[in-house]
Amino acid sequence: MQTQDAIIPGSAPEPKLNYLTNGSTLRSWLLTKDHKRIAIMYLITVSLFFMMGGMYAAAIRLELLTPASDLLQSGTYNKVFTQHGILMIFFFLIPSIPAILGNFLIPLMIGAKDLALPRVNLLSLYIYWIGGALTLWALMQGGVDTGWTFYAPYSTTFSNTYVMAVGLGIFINGFSSILTGLNFIVTIHTMRAPGMTWFRLPLFVWAHYATSLVMILGTPVVAITILLLALERVAHIGIFDPTVGGDPILFQHLFWFYSHPAVYIMILPGMGVISELISSFSRKKIFGYEFIAFSSIAIAVFGFLVWGHHMFVSGQSIYAGLVFSFLTMVVAVPSAIKVFNWTATLYKGSISYDTPMLYALGFLGLFLIGGLTGLFLGSVGLTVHLTDTYFIVAHFHYVMVGGQVIAYLGGIHYWWPKITGRMYSEFWGKISAMLVFVGFNLTFFPQFILGYQGMPRRYASYPEEFQVLNIFSTAGASVLGVGLIMPVIYLTHSLIFGKKAGDNPWILPGLEWRTSSPPPTENFEVMPVVTWEAYDFSDENGLDIDEIKRQQAELATA
Amino acid sequence: MSTHADTHEHHHEPGLQHQFEDMKQQEESVSIGMWMFLVQEIMFFGGLFTAYLVFRSKYPMAFAAGSNHLDVVMGFVNTLVLIVSSLTMALTVYYAQKGNRNMQVILILLTMFFGTVFLGIKAVEYTDKYNHGVVPVTGLNRVVKAPSGSGESNLEFEQTYAGLSSSEPAKPASGEHEYVNPKGEFQWHEFELIEHTVKEQEENPSAHLLTDNEKIAYFSNDKFDQNKFRDKVRIFFFIYFVMTGLHALHMIVGLGLMTWLLWKAWKNTFSAEYYMPVEMSGLYWHFVDIVWIFLFPLLYLLGRHFIHS
Amino acid sequence: MENHNEQQHEHMNIPKYVGVFLVLVVGTILTYVVALQDLDWIFPGANTLLALGIALTKMTFVMLFFMHVYWSPKLVWLAAAGSFFWLAIMFAFTMQDYLTRGSGVFGH
Repeated sequence: MQTQDAIIPGSAPEPKLNYLTNGSTLRSWLLTKDHKRIAIMYLITVSLFFMMGGMYAAAIRLELLTPASDLLQSGTYNKVFTQHGILMIFFFLIPSIPAILGNFLIPLMIGAKDLALPRVNLLSLYIYWIGGALTLWALMQGGVDTGWTFYAPYSTTFSNTYVMAVGLGIFINGFSSILTGLNFIVTIHTMRAPGMTWFRLPLFVWAHYATSLVMILGTPVVAITILLLALERVAHIGIFDPTVGGDPILFQHLFWFYSHPAVYIMILPGMGVISELISSFSRKKIFGYEFIAFSSIAIAVFGFLVWGHHMFVSGQSIYAGLVFSFLTMVVAVPSAIKVFNWTATLYKGSISYDTPMLYALGFLGLFLIGGLTGLFLGSVGLTVHLTDTYFIVAHFHYVMVGGQVIAYLGGIHYWWPKITGRMYSEFWGKISAMLVFVGFNLTFFPQFILGYQGMPRRYASYPEEFQVLNIFSTAGASVLGVGLIMPVIYLTHSLIFGKKAGDNPWILPGLEWRTSSPPPTENFEVMPVVTWEAYDFSDENGLDIDEIKRQQAELATA
Repeated sequence: MSTHADTHEHHHEPGLQHQFEDMKQQEESVSIGMWMFLVQEIMFFGGLFTAYLVFRSKYPMAFAAGSNHLDVVMGFVNTLVLIVSSLTMALTVYYAQKGNRNMQVILILLTMFFGTVFLGIKAVEYTDKYNHGVVPVTGLNRVVKAPSGSGESNLEFEQTYAGLSSSEPAKPASGEHEYVNPKGEFQWHEFELIEHTVKEQEENPSAHLLTDNEKIAYFSNDKFDQNKFRDKVRIFFFIYFVMTGLHALHMIVGLGLMTWLLWKAWKNTFSAEYYMPVEMSGLYWHFVDIVWIFLFPLLYLLGRHFIHS
Repeated sequence: MENHNEQQHEHMNIPKYVGVFLVLVVGTILTYVVALQDLDWIFPGANTLLALGIALTKMTFVMLFFMHVYWSPKLVWLAAAGSFFWLAIMFAFTMQDYLTRGSGVFGH
């Protein structure tokens, strides 16, 4: 890094081109091969899908404010929760962290100029846009009411909604995620800078490696399943229709072969983000690096062995239920290893409560609840009582929102100065982080109780005795909504009015913090050579802390 | 997938892209990328093979009946054609490494020729199946042509039934209404094998000629039901058409790749230093061949021994 | 890179390619011939097992020699083996449901 300092004189204010200023035409964005620009375009589209999914969520919570189905008719309500699920899962949760943060950061973290296959990366963005546009078109035309799971034979024989168009949108979108995963695996294998060995990789990269494995091995199966579903719908073959010898449970097997591992596509990158945040804001080397790294791989592998726990009451054999139940307990182990290691990292660390750290601490608690309630649902006996109740809804929102979305927000805040070169408002950041935490718990904790008391999911109306808890839930959703809208405002505001962040605002050793903010198109002025371990806060990490502090002070006075 | 290995003349090494340090890194990346793509292709076909496995284990007799209806000679010839095309593809890579332009062009043309022959035979088979009324799509068989050689045309459905099958026309089980075909439904008239098996099973209840599942699936009120059996055969043909159709689609994509390769080879792009596009297209071509290596015995050959032994 | 190349040239030549091709042709003929023999006297399903065995052998030859897996880095071996392992997971865990429906100690 000494050589780099020599090349960049700190005092010379000569404006360098970064990836944002290097070309400003629309063409330079739409035909870019720069992973950072592609990530920004993903960020914008994914955020739009998130907002749309959020609006559907608002409609659901408003309808459930009263016991009667007054705001939405039952048919409309079916469409609303289906589209909430489809938009959130396929167009927000799955692409969010990998395609935005992973895309932006993996080359920076391993010291590469770009992803290994930049054109494939751009192709995956376009595929995402095409799939998304098709799905949106179908939603405008009248939407779909099958639930995001498309269970046959309802979706193949009975539903009169736009199952084909939405299915095709998801089919296309699947290849976007396959190509992203493929690209990450290739990049992590071949593009590491000199000295960046496998065990010096940040855990964020390990988590993305595991995620990419799941994407490549799982997504094609759901693609073929949707294809079969579409053919069944067109041709009425009866492959899923029991009246002519078909088998609806086969659909569930094929669907969950992907869709259970897809849960890990959503949560693993979030875990990667949390590993970064916990270590960085405790200013301490992460505890049990190898354990966290391999637990990511273990989750990716074991995640493929447990899909049957979605089908305990579907007519699957009891023997299979027992096997799947046992393996579900097993898959909890690597997740628990991660939580223990994060907690151990906090111990005796010098913790600072910046916004990203608030999100990370929130994640620890919420993911714990989400994970433990997953064990309730994974046991064959108890699940008979809890299947298709609000207990399920609460459980997966604790994992998906409390886990993935919180991690995503934490990551966005943490790397915002690197992505944009500007610092967001720490004051508003902390307020919104706390609003999200409180609002989230208020929304979804009552649903555990509702579900345990027997309130079924996917109905627009419910008996009056459930109303109090539903009012709590809707109130919490409004708080959560405010907490989620605030970052949109203050982050956008910071683009223009934010303080200049400097290259390394948190004085961290990671490779991504050793280039300028925003990074230049080629990421590094000179090819970095890595001589330090991951999360190395000791003096041997090659950071010139005095120089960083001097630059920070200069920025503060400027 | 190999489009990302385009040439950039302005670099000091031919075909080296800006994000890589040297050709070795680029070749490694492209190769790993292609293999990961093949992994996802395997899983893509894997979903279909799972469906095949489930239904074959549920309805083995119906699958055997359906399989026996397929033209095994055409399937056999097609397997050989694909293997030959695989050989020419492998030799293309060999000559690309040697930088021998003429042999590359000839072998790519040969590969394309055999690929086209494969698709041609497939088209003949599909037409044949359509004429036999076993395309399992409701409404698609409304106009049923007479089988080739019968010299008749414009047959009514009932007449077609009689002319279609080499065996006796469908005899409705007593007490059942005749299987009419107002919507151009899937047609099936070959019941000797299954009816024979059912009879044997009834005479000898301890024999396991039918699975427990089949003892329910083909019967109505303890009597063999042709309609119910026909539905199961229909599932076989559905899986047959989806599997071979997707395979044929991959062949067409492969032919597109070959056209692109032919253009590159014609311009003498490839040498010992730069032949990754050929190698990668080769991987794809061989993969498609491997899928067929499995499809042939699984679709064409099951239950043949029931009849021939 | 050059090194890698020479290795391939050393290991594969035209007679060897033709040899692999002949193995594939023989395998195809063998598949067809044994499919016509009733092998159920060995055990039920022996025909299917044999057909799959031949197909697997043919696939192995194509992968090792036509696709050069034999001389490829370990990662390629891992990708090839891993994908079939995942297929096996999908087959086995789906079938463990279908094959245990209503039978054995868990049945009825």
